[in-house]
Amino acid sequence: MLGRVVPGVTTPVVAVINFQQNRNMATLKAISIRLKSVKNIQKITQSMKMVSAAKYTRAERDLKAARPYGEGAVQFYERAEVTPPEDDPKQLYVAMTSDRGLCGAVHTGVSKVIRTRLAEPGAENIKVICVGDKSRGILQRLYSKHIISVCQEIGRLPPTFQDACKIAGAILTSGYEFASGKIVYNKFKSVVSYQQSDLPLFSQKAVENAPKLTIYDSLDADVIQSYMEFSLASMLFYALKEGACSEQSSRMTAMDNASKNAGEMIDKLTLTFNRTRQAVITRELIEIISGAAALD
Amino acid sequence: MTAWRQAGLNYINYSNIAAKVLRRALKPELRTEALKRDESHVRITPWANGRPAHLQQADK
Repeated sequence: MLGRVVPGVTTPVVAVINFQQNRNMATLKAISIRLKSVKNIQKITQSMKMVSAAKYTRAERDLKAARPYGEGAVQFYERAEVTPPEDDPKQLYVAMTSDRGLCGAVHTGVSKVIRTRLAEPGAENIKVICVGDKSRGILQRLYSKHIISVCQEIGRLPPTFQDACKIAGAILTSGYEFASGKIVYNKFKSVVSYQQSDLPLFSQKAVENAPKLTIYDSLDADVIQSYMEFSLASMLFYALKEGACSEQSSRMTAMDNASKNAGEMIDKLTLTFNRTRQAVITRELIEIISGAAALD
Repeated sequence: MTAWRQAGLNYINYSNIAAKVLRRALKPELRTEALKRDESHVRITPWANGRPAHLQQADK
């Protein structure tokens, strides 16, 4: 029994010694390799920050022009006091994200809003359209049955109205007759902040039954249908622009932080590198001197 | 019902065709800029039963 216990006790001790030796004996070469790789990473994050800063200024300019599209569409629903019909629970959620990562919590925020909604009761009547690969990646594992469409190639170039038209066309031709819904997106507030927000979607029936629709003149079913289609496209366009702008600003902050952290690491590693070099020199000197002393 | 809706277009298609024609009618120096707004790279994959629809067809 003693024979069994002893190796059990000694092995961890040996492991600790090895570990400590590795820590202390970190060779100069190992440190310099590490230092070089961290420096390269810093270079990459820095240039990514520059790129997204340039993209951000453009996205913000575009967003200003796109704002009336979304606000106008939402105003109509508010003025007409459109409410989702209570007898039809079918809902559609559009998750506005993009294909690109490394930008903080932009995509997880949007996906989380939808995930919490899908975890609540009544989720079986909800269908989701994922715009961008990131939301698909997050939602696919648990809620893949709810996804009816995935849109890819978002975020490489600034979104255009054509993109919004394609997505709107996909929603209209998907064959899913939703009564109400939401476009979940990141609303851009300032360079350092964004917030998950949503735009309402309604079916044509809900709009026709709106109590205050009479404040608008000369509406017939055809005009309403056309307007609904156009407002869907313009709201998607607005949400895409808001999302792109928040994403770039968030990526800028994320990459700035990453460069800062890499800088700290570089400082620490340089210090260890110099200290180790000094130690190696001292040790060699001692060896030489003691060797010489032994000869005397 | 309007003629374009009878032909199976919705308002988005209709207005896009109108926009495309208008862009082509612009003067050359303005046209190149305007044509950039006509591009779209989005790909849309329909999903059913938790998988992309085209993969399901491949399974069968």
